[in-house]
Amino acid sequence: MLKYLATAINLAIHLANCLDTINRWLAAGLRWLVLAMALIQFASVIGRYVFGVNYIAVQESVLYLHASLFMLAAGYTLLVDKHVRVDIFYAKARPSIRRRIDIIGHCTLLLPSMAALMWWSWPSVHNSWKILEGALAVGGIEAVFLLKSLIPAFCVLVMMQSVAILLRLLAHRDQSRDQSRD
Amino acid sequence: MSAYLDLLMFAALIAAIISGFPVAFSIAGVAVIFGYLGWAVGAMDITLLGAFSQRVFGLISNQVLIAIPLFIFMGALLDKSCVAEELLDTMGRTFGQLRGGLGIAVVLVGALLAASTGIVGATVVAMGLIALPTMLRNGYDPKVASGIVCTAGTLGQIIPPSTLLIILADVMSNAYQQAQYQQGKFAVEALSVGQFFAAALVPGLVLVGLYLLYIVGRGVVRPLDMPPASATGRVRAGEVMRAVVPPIVLIFAVLGSILGGVATPTEAASVGAIGAMLLASLRQPRYRKTILMGAVVLILLAVAAGVFPVRLQRSDLTGIEWLVGAGYIGLAIVASGAVVVGLGNLLRAGIIQQAVTSTMTMTTMIFATILAAGMFSLVFVGLGGEERVAYWLANLPGEAMGALVVTMLIVFLLGFFLDFVEISVIVLPVVVPSLIVLGVDPLWLGILLAINLQTSFLTPPFGFSLFYLRGAAPKEVTTGQIYQGIVPFIVLQVVGMSLIWLLPGLATWLPRVIF
Repeated sequence: MLKYLATAINLAIHLANCLDTINRWLAAGLRWLVLAMALIQFASVIGRYVFGVNYIAVQESVLYLHASLFMLAAGYTLLVDKHVRVDIFYAKARPSIRRRIDIIGHCTLLLPSMAALMWWSWPSVHNSWKILEGALAVGGIEAVFLLKSLIPAFCVLVMMQSVAILLRLLAHRDQSRDQSRD
Repeated sequence: MSAYLDLLMFAALIAAIISGFPVAFSIAGVAVIFGYLGWAVGAMDITLLGAFSQRVFGLISNQVLIAIPLFIFMGALLDKSCVAEELLDTMGRTFGQLRGGLGIAVVLVGALLAASTGIVGATVVAMGLIALPTMLRNGYDPKVASGIVCTAGTLGQIIPPSTLLIILADVMSNAYQQAQYQQGKFAVEALSVGQFFAAALVPGLVLVGLYLLYIVGRGVVRPLDMPPASATGRVRAGEVMRAVVPPIVLIFAVLGSILGGVATPTEAASVGAIGAMLLASLRQPRYRKTILMGAVVLILLAVAAGVFPVRLQRSDLTGIEWLVGAGYIGLAIVASGAVVVGLGNLLRAGIIQQAVTSTMTMTTMIFATILAAGMFSLVFVGLGGEERVAYWLANLPGEAMGALVVTMLIVFLLGFFLDFVEISVIVLPVVVPSLIVLGVDPLWLGILLAINLQTSFLTPPFGFSLFYLRGAAPKEVTTGQIYQGIVPFIVLQVVGMSLIWLLPGLATWLPRVIF
C-alpha cells in the first residue's frame, strides 16, 4: 500500500516537473520579446522623427510583442512566485499555514477563475478564428484572431502551472515552496 | 442578503488579498465566485461574464500601457548594470561634506529613479539595500536614516515618468470620459499620459523641496543625527561627469520629450531603454570608444532632425533633401552599429539576460493584476456596486468637497491593504466618475490621490514601505526606530498635500500651459 503511495507521489512530482519545464522553456524565449520591443520601437522612433517614415504595421508589431509577453509569461511568473503577494501575515506564518493558504487559494481562487475566464471568452475567440478577424486599424497587422487566442493561452498556461504547484504542495507535506523557485 | 452582495464581495477581496495568495488571482477568484453567487441568488445575469473577453482584449490592445515594460526595462538596465548604485554613491560623496548630505543624495536619487517603479516595494527594497547601510556606516541616526530611505523609495511613484502615473492616467482618462457621457456630452475629451506627467511634476518637486528643507534644517538643529562623511571619499569632477551627468541627461531627455509633446510616452520610453543600454554598456571594459561615438551620433541625429527634418515618404523631395536624407541614413547606420556593439557587451556580461527576465516577470505581474481587476469590476458593476457608490457619494453632506474628503479617507485606509496598481484599477474606476460629475478637476484629483496613496504607504503600522524596509533593513535597526523615523516625513506629506489641496494650480497650471 505504502509502495503504491510512494509511486503515486513520484509520478505526481514527475508530472509537476514536466509542467514546470514547459513554462520555463517558454519564458526563456519570451523574455527576448522585451529587447525586441525596445529595438523595434526605437527604430520606429528614428524612422518617424528623422526620416518622416511611419508604418502602422511596425507600431502594431510592438503591441503584438507586448501582449504576447505579458499574456504568455504569466505561467512562468507564477512558477517563480513573482506574482506579487501582500505578505503582511503570509511572510510570518508557519510553513504549514502557508502551504494551506496556497492549496486553498489554488483550488478556490486561481483554478476556478481561469477556467471561468476561458469558458466565457471562448465564444469570442472561436468567432474570431472563424472569420480570421483582420486588423485593429487600417494598414495594421491582420491577425487579431491571434491576439484573441492569447486569452485561452494565458488561462491554460496559468492553470498548468497551478496544477504543478498544487501537485508539489500535496506531495511534500513539509517542504516549503522554495524548491520550485529559481 | 443578496442586496449586499457587492459589499460582501469587496470584503472578500480584502480578505483574499491579505491571506497572502498572489494578488492577481485573488482578485480574479473573488470576481468569479461572486459572479456565480450573484447568479445563484438571482442578483445578476450570468451571461454578463461573456464580457470578460472584451475587458481582457481591451487590455491586450491598449496602446498607452506599452510604455510600461519599456520604462521597467530602462530601470532594470540602470539597476543591473550598477549605474543606479554608482549614481547614489557619487551623489552621496558629492554632498557628503555637508551635514545631511548623504540624506539629500538619497532623496534626489529616489526622485530620479522614478521610471523603474513598478510596485512600491521594489524601490524601497533597492534603496534599503544600497542606501541604508551606507548611511548607518557614516554614523546616521537609524531613525532618520530609515525615514529618509522609506520616503525616498516611495517618492519615485509620483514623479514622472513613473509607471504608476501611466496606469493612473489611463484609469483617470477612462473615468473622465465616462463622466462626460453621464453628463450627456457628445464631444468627449480624453486625458493623456503627458498631461498627467505635467500635472505631477510641480507637486512632486514641491515634496522633494520639503524633504530637502527638512533634512538640511534637521542637520543644523541636531548635527549628531547626520554627521558629514569623512573627507577621504572626496569626489573628482571627472567622476561626477561620468556617473551622475549621463543618467540625469537621459531621464531629462525622456521626460522632456513627453512634456514637450514631441513624443508619445511609448516612444520616449524606448529611447530611454536604448539610452540606458548604451550607458550600461559603457560600464563594460570593451569598445568604449565605439559606443561613445554611437551615442554622440544619436544625439547629433536628434538635433539635426529637429533643425532640418526630411520626410522621405513625400513625393516632392528636392535633391538637397535626398542628400541630407542619405547623410542621416549613414549616421543611423553608424548609431545602430554602436547599439549592436553595446548589446554584445551587455550580453557577454549577462546584464541583458537579467534585465529582460526581471522586466518580463514585473510586467506580467502588473498586467495580470490589471486583467484581474477588469474581471472584478465587471462583476462589481453587475451586482450594482457602482450605482451604490455613486449614490453614496452624491448624497454626502458638503457636495463635491464632502465626497472628495470621504474618498481620500477611504483610499488612504485601503492603501494599508492594497498596492498602487490595485487601488488604481479596482477602486478608482468606481469612485472617480462620480467625483468628476460633481465637478472635481480630474488632473488635480489624480495627483491628490497619488500623493494620498504615497502617504498611506508610509503610515505605521500597516504602511507597505515600512513593511518592505523592515525586510531589507539590517537587523540592528528596530521596527520601532523605523516607525519613529517616518513620523516627520508623514507630517511633510500632509503639508504637501494641504498645499496642493489649497492651491490646485500647483497641479493644473503646467498641463494648461504646455498642452
